[in-house]
Amino acid sequence: MRYPIVTLLLILLGATSAPFGQPSQKEAREIIDKVDRLLRGDSSLGWVEMTVATRQWKRTTELRIWSEGTEKVLVRVEAPKKDQGTATLRVGDNIWNYLPKIDRVIRIPTSMMMASWMGSHFTNDDLVKDSRLIRDYDIKIDFEGTRDRVEVYEFFLTPRPEAPVVWGRIIYQIRKSDLMPISGKFYGEDGQLKRVANFSEYETMDGRLVPTRMRMSPEDKPGEYTEMKYKELDFDVKIPEKVFSLNSLRGS
Amino acid sequence: MIVVRLGWRNLWRNSRRSLITIAGIAFAFAFLIAMIGLARGLVVQLLRNGTELMVGHIQIHDRDYLPDRDIYETVGNLEGHDWPRLLERLERHPQILAVSPRVFGFGLLSTGEQSAGAQIIGVDPRHEAEVSRLVDANALAKLRPGSLLLGVTLAQELNASEGDEVAAVTQAADGTLGNELFKVAGIVRTGLAYLDRSVAFSRIDDLQLLLALEPSRIHEIAIRIQDPLGAAEVGRQISQMQGLPTGIVVQTWRDLLPQLSEYLELAGGANAFIIGLVVIFAAFGVLNTMMMATFERIREIGMLNSFGMRPALITLTIMLEALFLALLGLAAGFGVGAVMMHYFSVYGLDLTRWTGQLTMVQARVDPVLKAAWNWNAVIGAAISLCVATLIAAYLPARRAVRVDPVEALRAPVLQ
Repeated sequence: MRYPIVTLLLILLGATSAPFGQPSQKEAREIIDKVDRLLRGDSSLGWVEMTVATRQWKRTTELRIWSEGTEKVLVRVEAPKKDQGTATLRVGDNIWNYLPKIDRVIRIPTSMMMASWMGSHFTNDDLVKDSRLIRDYDIKIDFEGTRDRVEVYEFFLTPRPEAPVVWGRIIYQIRKSDLMPISGKFYGEDGQLKRVANFSEYETMDGRLVPTRMRMSPEDKPGEYTEMKYKELDFDVKIPEKVFSLNSLRGS
Repeated sequence: MIVVRLGWRNLWRNSRRSLITIAGIAFAFAFLIAMIGLARGLVVQLLRNGTELMVGHIQIHDRDYLPDRDIYETVGNLEGHDWPRLLERLERHPQILAVSPRVFGFGLLSTGEQSAGAQIIGVDPRHEAEVSRLVDANALAKLRPGSLLLGVTLAQELNASEGDEVAAVTQAADGTLGNELFKVAGIVRTGLAYLDRSVAFSRIDDLQLLLALEPSRIHEIAIRIQDPLGAAEVGRQISQMQGLPTGIVVQTWRDLLPQLSEYLELAGGANAFIIGLVVIFAAFGVLNTMMMATFERIREIGMLNSFGMRPALITLTIMLEALFLALLGLAAGFGVGAVMMHYFSVYGLDLTRWTGQLTMVQARVDPVLKAAWNWNAVIGAAISLCVATLIAAYLPARRAVRVDPVEALRAPVLQ
């Protein structure tokens, strides 16, 4: 009679000992989810400097970003003057743009989801899909150890069957000590590297350690990039529901 | 001269047989004329539908513009070019009928809740009407400043009709979001479904404003010339002009519509094959006639031989007889062929009986095929028939003169 209990205890110990070694699949998901939520919180209000550099031009705009949950985002351009008031609202799968010069709200059709968002290297689709890594991908730890003298985890994200995503594979590198993201590599369905995201300048904002600079470089356009630098970031602020409406998109 | 007379007279010694052979050659030639004419008619039609729709016969671009249509790769690079002057100079070329400058942009058109991506083509209405018939001249004439013409499916998707307001948003050349309001000046049917779904037209300066391109910057000059089959030569002459913008390429429809070009080459090869077959069949008919004609005269030839007539002259007589056969056949065939060509070029050959509606290499094919003369091929076919006839006559002639006169005189008298 005693032996089965001992065996059971051993099994239980074995199961729970996993966190002390390599994180399990479940924990891998939790880490990615945490990273995913890092810059967002339940709700957030941010002030971002976005720099887009292409072969022909380089522009910096200042954006105010309101977000709530994973489904609602409002972005408004505050500077330069020429673009002031230009805004994007995302609710669920829908995206609307507001253009102050012609005073029109334009809904982005699904056929234009892969087009550039506000002239950056992000697509409209990124705005919608970015927050759904946990839902759309299977996540496993691919590597654990030292890269560039930093202890890291490398996560391997492969899309679930039927998941409506554009990537064939994502590799996330995350700092082991504080679970800060270092980089993300995005591969197409053909296995080709399409873009690289690099995170840096980890600072505490509103009591939270976050990477305040994120640079996205498309592989097919060497030298081009879009960089987001957080100037201010407040978490879990109360945002009135009417912020995420077409009226507020128009700035009224 | 005696050999010519002898040859002519020999021809009519068995007039029925000769006439049948002449009729055979005539039929072959008439058939070839009609076939060559219809084939050329198809080429002309495919070429017209393929090039006049949009592409034109020759295009000028920046070297890096195609195939991506990057808005920065304008004619004359970033500085652009004094293109109105270039157009004037091109128009002075004797082969060039019309030129059209174009600007291309890709953007989002929207009437609010209804939006759709579209290729916006900036044109000069007067010039464009002379080069392409994608949009008819009446619709183009309505293209006032600040207005758009929408493809019919695109208009449905946007739920827009004439007079409505449409917002256009695009990634402009300076990195900003270019956005302007346009009035719908008209809704157009191009005849090709994918264009009806995706294309809008504006005036060049409106599109340049939307894209933040300077007025000197355009993406394309399309050119229509007199003889599309001579496009390569005209293209070469254009690229040798002085004072062209740097970094441009001049391409003909053969480069721009490789599928069409390949198809035409393939069709040309198939034609040559059929011509060859018909010529060979005709030659066998002649061979048969001439063999009969020489062997039934073997006694006579032997006699001429023993009288001391040079064998070369005897051969020449037989060859001349065959030549007369060929020439008479060709003349008669030409007459019949010309009548057929007249019919086919005026009334055409109605293909609908066999095919129904058809498209070929992305170009619409008219249901009634109209023939067109292709003189080079007709003359080529005539010469081939002549040569084949002479070869067919030479073989029996050579054998006949080699026969020993004594043997020949022993041969039974025929006729």
